[in-house]
Amino acid sequence: MFYLELLLVGAVWGCTYALMALGLTVVYGLLRILHVAQATVFTFGAYLGLLAANQFGSLWLALLVGAVSAGLLGPLIYRFVYQPLLGRPPFVALVASIGLLVAMEDGFRLIFGPYGLAFDDNTWFATSFSLGGLTLNGVQIAVVVLSIVLLTAFALFASRTRAGIGWRATVSDPAIAASFGVRVEQVRYLAFSIASVLAGVAGVLVGLLNNLVEPGMGGVISYKGLAIIVLGGLGNVPGTLVASMVLGIIESFGTVFVDRWLDRDAIAFLFLIIVLMIRPQGLLGKAH
Amino acid sequence: MDYYISVATFAALNVTLALGLNLISGFCGQVSLGHAAFYGLGAYAAALLSVAGLPFVGSLAAGVLVAGLAGALVGFAALRVREDFLAIVTMGVGFLFLGVVRKQSWLGAEMGISNIPSPLEKGGYAMLAIGVAIVMLAISLHVRRSWMGRAFSAVAQDEDAARSLGINVPGFKIAAFFIGTAAAGLAGGIYAHMTQLIVPDAFNFVQSITILAMVVIGGIGSSFGVVAGAILLTLIPEMFRFINDYKLLVYGGLLLLVMRFSPEGLAGIGRSLARRWGLR
Amino acid sequence: MSAMLAAQDLSISFGGIHAVREVSLAVQPGELLGLIGPNGAGKTTLLRLLTGVLRPDRGRVIFEGQDVTRLPLHRRAQLGFVHTHQIVRPFREMTLAENVMTAAEPQLGRRPWSAIMRVDANPARRRALELLHRLGILDAADKPAHSVPLGYLKRLQVARALALSPRLLLLDEPLAGLNYSEATRLADQIVELNKEGLTILLVEHNLGEITRVASRLVVLHNGATLAEGQPTEVMSRMAVRNAYLGVDADAAPAAALADA
Repeated sequence: MFYLELLLVGAVWGCTYALMALGLTVVYGLLRILHVAQATVFTFGAYLGLLAANQFGSLWLALLVGAVSAGLLGPLIYRFVYQPLLGRPPFVALVASIGLLVAMEDGFRLIFGPYGLAFDDNTWFATSFSLGGLTLNGVQIAVVVLSIVLLTAFALFASRTRAGIGWRATVSDPAIAASFGVRVEQVRYLAFSIASVLAGVAGVLVGLLNNLVEPGMGGVISYKGLAIIVLGGLGNVPGTLVASMVLGIIESFGTVFVDRWLDRDAIAFLFLIIVLMIRPQGLLGKAH
Repeated sequence: MDYYISVATFAALNVTLALGLNLISGFCGQVSLGHAAFYGLGAYAAALLSVAGLPFVGSLAAGVLVAGLAGALVGFAALRVREDFLAIVTMGVGFLFLGVVRKQSWLGAEMGISNIPSPLEKGGYAMLAIGVAIVMLAISLHVRRSWMGRAFSAVAQDEDAARSLGINVPGFKIAAFFIGTAAAGLAGGIYAHMTQLIVPDAFNFVQSITILAMVVIGGIGSSFGVVAGAILLTLIPEMFRFINDYKLLVYGGLLLLVMRFSPEGLAGIGRSLARRWGLR
Repeated sequence: MSAMLAAQDLSISFGGIHAVREVSLAVQPGELLGLIGPNGAGKTTLLRLLTGVLRPDRGRVIFEGQDVTRLPLHRRAQLGFVHTHQIVRPFREMTLAENVMTAAEPQLGRRPWSAIMRVDANPARRRALELLHRLGILDAADKPAHSVPLGYLKRLQVARALALSPRLLLLDEPLAGLNYSEATRLADQIVELNKEGLTILLVEHNLGEITRVASRLVVLHNGATLAEGQPTEVMSRMAVRNAYLGVDADAAPAAALADA
């Protein structure tokens, strides 16, 4: 029973990681950029969502506001930070991204205060459900359900819609995609929108999960997201999803069993380093 | 007066840290986002041994060795992974270091190590730190002019081509990591004795990024540029006290601006100006 | 006379496609061996197997009696087994002279802790200038590599490889992208090097030049050796011509008509 509970908690964390990591792998696949600043979008969505919830009393509204605000910020970041740096070595974009992350984290601290804000009326958190001996709160269920919905929507988008197919073509080969009439720039904006919407939703959900939104919340999950996309194979969407869940579960068990030696955030990276030493291409990446 | 001496000491320590990172990332092209971990390793090793009774010089030497060997290990691990991965792996090393140290009671856990013996006076530390910084600058310049510098340059520009020309790419990468991290370890040892208290959070990701900012803003690859960057980023929060509150906002913003408008940093700006004024 | 370089039953597949199938070949000391074949024949893959960029699924590579199949690239270069790249890879930020100098002191390239001791670059620079002069590109010695035309870069590659004092040189399409006179000149220089005792394996698309300069040809088709022998004799064989003309199911009727 205890192990099942750990598994469930891990799965919930895994879902939040998946929402974040999917965006990271999409951006990497298109632009070979490690979009560390995804954390900014995540936290932005979380704060605005919380403000909306506290103002209007609706958690669903929080999700919507979080998604939309993040979805608008993401493409702006592309336009003003990454687009001008496209021709440069990848190191430049990475450092710029880190700069944005660090600056915005401080910005959030200055605007919203260093100690974080709480939801006034987190009804989902307060509601418990019993499923065959296990207790879950409303947020955990919401995380799982929403993740499944959003990820399925993404899968359908990628395989069924013109835009989705255009995106996949651009990832494979931008030049050929362009010659087939795919508007590469539009695809990029779209990719950033989608990645950011997912991050924004994840932000609100994590905020609800912890009942706290704080300036640094995006950073750690963004760094773990990077570890996840490496494990899953850079640009490899199914791999990223698998790696997210695996990491969530490992963390969950890890915090119980290795708590004496290692704190939760380091587990992700220890796992990453061990895997890379054994399989340098990642868990599911293709060999060089 | 004491205050100025303190600032000068920190500036010198930062110069050493930045020059070390510059050697790894600037000369040899190996991205390293976890440099603060080696600063921390040096500090912790030196502190533990000092508290246990080892003389000052011995503790410092131990700090250098521990950090250097750890760096060589990371360099060795770095051989196996592609460039993009290296950034993440080195970031991971930083988090791993923190994660382990925070949990070990014999390392002081969250509270760190305190009551570290301090054999020197404030002025003594300043002179030591400045001396180390000067030596590190000399080493940097020497490496640049030497064949090691040539090999580093080849590895940084095109690793596979370098291999096909018989350059021992693995050996040079490990050497770069060793030298850069050993320097960080020495700085760490000095820091520990000077402040007499070290906590894990002094060596976190933000610290790694701060060092990176000094290198990048100064001009990655340029020894003098990096020195300028380190001194500037140490002095500015002190000179403009109110900035201290917005320190990270400013650093982050600077990183962004530099990458966007002048990726070669201050050194690059210096070079263009020199050209413009006909000095080249 | 034992071969300088011997490939034994090299094989490699990528995702179900047999790129190279049990290829054996030998390069005799002092010869200028040409490796040709139509597009997709597996020439580049074979070269990568020989140089060590790729590890074969099966088979061995023997250089001067030593099994080098598992030996890392930089160690092969140090043994005297040097290759150039099909798509030029100069160190873009360095000048042409500096590019060649990087290779001019192999002992230092091997040992980082010796390299840190040495600052004097004069002997290396002299050697570099000599080699650049030899390849006819001395005039650009102090220009950065990203600013010179392809013809210069192709010759830079050869100069750089020569700086290592190789015993065997593998050239991957050194004439590609060059105009007629540049190609002829470089081909002549390659012959000169061979006459001076350098063993050369040349992979080329430019049939005109390679049949002129090679002492022996090996033809590759669909990942396996198709023919071997004297250039004029090999080029006159029907099987080789058919391979180049792409005689397959679709073209068979046309080919049959041509023969009729």
